[in-house]
Amino acid sequence: MANVIVNRVAEFLRRFPPFSFLGKDDLASVARSVEVLYLEKGEILFRQGEAAQPHFFVLKEGTIHLVQNSVQGEEIREVCDEGDVFGVLALLGKRPYLLTSKVIENSLIYAIPVAVFEKILEENSRVALFFAAGFAAGQVVVRQDLSHGQKARGEFKNTSGDHSLMIFSDQSEVKVSEKVVSCAPEASIHQASKLMAEAQVSSIIICDDQGFPKGIVTDKDLRNRVLASGISPQQPVSSVMTSPVITRKKQDGFSDLYLTMIRNRLHHLVLTNDGSDQSPVCGIISDHDIFLSMGNSPAVLIHGLINTVEVSEMRKIRDRAEQMLRYYLENEVSMEFVSSVMTEINDVIIRQALALVQNQLLSDYPEMATVRFCFLSMGSEGREEQLLRTDLDNAILYEDVTAELHDKAAEYFLKLGEGIVEVLLACGFDPCPGKIMASNPEWVQPLSVWKKYFSEWILHPSPEALVKVSIFFDYRAVAGSKTLAEELTHHIYQEIGNKQIFLNFLAQNALTNPPPLGFFKDFMVEKSGEHRDQFDIKARAMLPLTDLARLLVLSHQVVGINNTFRRFEKLAELEPNYAELFAQAGKAYEILMRMRALEGLQNQNSGRYIQPKSLGKLQRQLLKNTFSPISELQEIVNIRFQLDYFRK
Amino acid sequence: MSWWEFWKPKKERLDFIRQFLELNAQSIPGIRGIDQLNFTVLDTETTGFDPVKDSILSFGAVQISGMKIQISTAVEWYPLTENTSRKTAPIHGLVEIAHPLEVEDFSKRLLEYFGNSILVGHHVSFDLQMLGKLLAHYGISQFPNPVIDTLRLAIRLEHGPNADLSRINMESYSLDELCKRYGIETDDRHTAAGDAFLTAQLFLKLLKNCSKKGIFNFKDLMKNY
Repeated sequence: MANVIVNRVAEFLRRFPPFSFLGKDDLASVARSVEVLYLEKGEILFRQGEAAQPHFFVLKEGTIHLVQNSVQGEEIREVCDEGDVFGVLALLGKRPYLLTSKVIENSLIYAIPVAVFEKILEENSRVALFFAAGFAAGQVVVRQDLSHGQKARGEFKNTSGDHSLMIFSDQSEVKVSEKVVSCAPEASIHQASKLMAEAQVSSIIICDDQGFPKGIVTDKDLRNRVLASGISPQQPVSSVMTSPVITRKKQDGFSDLYLTMIRNRLHHLVLTNDGSDQSPVCGIISDHDIFLSMGNSPAVLIHGLINTVEVSEMRKIRDRAEQMLRYYLENEVSMEFVSSVMTEINDVIIRQALALVQNQLLSDYPEMATVRFCFLSMGSEGREEQLLRTDLDNAILYEDVTAELHDKAAEYFLKLGEGIVEVLLACGFDPCPGKIMASNPEWVQPLSVWKKYFSEWILHPSPEALVKVSIFFDYRAVAGSKTLAEELTHHIYQEIGNKQIFLNFLAQNALTNPPPLGFFKDFMVEKSGEHRDQFDIKARAMLPLTDLARLLVLSHQVVGINNTFRRFEKLAELEPNYAELFAQAGKAYEILMRMRALEGLQNQNSGRYIQPKSLGKLQRQLLKNTFSPISELQEIVNIRFQLDYFRK
Repeated sequence: MSWWEFWKPKKERLDFIRQFLELNAQSIPGIRGIDQLNFTVLDTETTGFDPVKDSILSFGAVQISGMKIQISTAVEWYPLTENTSRKTAPIHGLVEIAHPLEVEDFSKRLLEYFGNSILVGHHVSFDLQMLGKLLAHYGISQFPNPVIDTLRLAIRLEHGPNADLSRINMESYSLDELCKRYGIETDDRHTAAGDAFLTAQLFLKLLKNCSKKGIFNFKDLMKNY
């Protein structure tokens, strides 16, 4: 039974095409999936060049302008008001937006998920025609008549090459710094460099009294022309500036600006109102700005992360990283490279979050500035193999403090952990269902307590303790003092050395994972529940391998290798007679990681459950092949740790 | 409803209450940003305004997450209470209710729906009191969730946190007046779900204003409540 709220949304939609062409049931299912958002004047819903969102939009009330940024500047292409449909590129071609949507009057917007509409588009020809004919607002390309065909093709070309490695993800979005640091020609070099230091910029423009640019001094000039040649900093800055300055106007378009910089070997390009040096300065582009606009390469993303303190910006960059990940996975880039890159990105986010929260807290806890601590990532992130933003597992370890600081430290580090976890959640990571996070007081502890935890698990390997071991043993110091983590590792190996039998328990645990194949060599799928008839790739294929790798590495007392396939690599080195098998196991793990991540990206979930029926024959065979090293390894472990006797 | 029906309830029958309380035992960190919070905006229609005598006819709600009203979460439920008798129902035009819910079924759905979200409504304390009456059997006469009253929030945003309530014309803070002031169409009022939807739109607009007034996270938002 449709309820009042759904009805009300449906009533509104029904008044406007293409919704007016929908049958009652289709309309209800569209209405039911709507998300309502409210934007105020001046906000922007999507930007030209941004990757398409999984929604298209209907304006419920308010006014929105669709504008195009081009060489000529900003141009309004469409004015949307009540009932207008826009942002449909997501629906049609999954290409980046061609226009920017600017909220002119406070607007209530219905966002409709593309997924619900795709089916309707296939079945309802009138709706399909509506979009094909370009009646929705802002379908620039489709709307142009034939004489513009050439241009339209050009535009298609620009964007159809869109994948995550596009060189310039968004040309019009190159950030031009409008605040330009400038000084008069008479100012001393010392004064000029002081201004630069205060504004944290790498260049200063020397302007006359009308604001016209006369020259420029950069970091490099200060090094080469002042310090190296021994000129007194009291000299006027005009004596060392580069003059005249090459200038352009802002509207010149990205490629022109960039080419000017390349041709003249400029690191900074000055923009003036009319493009000549006889006009006031209105902005500056640095090669740093250009660098940031260059698509999704790991270096750019990491650079972007390091230079932002905005959580929303971090989230955007993490989203972009996922596009890049998809490209890598689909193009079979080596898993070692992919996981290292993604780990580095995740680590940078954590470090940035840490710095952010530390800054907020230190004024209240000045005495904590010198206490050493270490942020530990556990589980898959600890093993450097977290590709998707699945569960966070992390903790904080800090050095033992004096009794009077004890409570204060506990409070401070818990707040720190809470803050970091909040930033990570806002960046799109999922919380750990088992609450193994740095926001849980149980896992924010001084070194002595952590040592006690591990000793306890090693001395009393109960089933619960072994589950914890599987998560906590893969810890990795992501930020803070690494020596603290090393101290803990040392302690753990000492304890295991004293109690070898612990490894037998661990081995037993590693063999308890459910088998991947049934008696008839078919996939063992879930028997009931939400994931009925799906194959749990994590529990049945990946966990056995991580468990086995961890066990064997621990038994060799190897330190510092967390990654499952790198562990297998190391094991192949340590046990040459099994080298082949270990190499296979490592390879299998890589294949499984790739499969799971692709599945997760496709379905926007953790990718843990795979429908065996949806796999092609080749993929099924590939998946089955990954299981054979598992059973072989399990047999070896069974014999090596004498588990047949142990169970008695 | 007689007492013996609830005598010795089966253990698993009450699991949903245990789950609900467990979920709410964990508090929301104060620094969590508003756009990361989950809200349930609700309204009820009752037989009258006396929390002792009257009871709930219908319950309507919709949830907000990520600063978006999620229409897919919209619900409209009609609990079967002793007052939903033939006598009162016709007055409110609620004669032909397709799927009235037994109290236990209703309670179960309600608590699952609430989860640990923040409960929002206009004059919400009244609605919660009425719902609490229904759930008193299960020992939940007061909900553990954080609660926000859009009426108080609107006053706080328009008059500041220390406004003197006695000097404010409360009539201009009725749902009708607020909707008018914030430009929200009020076409079919006076169904629980309809009012919940209006309240949700109002709340969405109020949340936008919050960030302008320096209210950015859960702690700021819950101050004064």
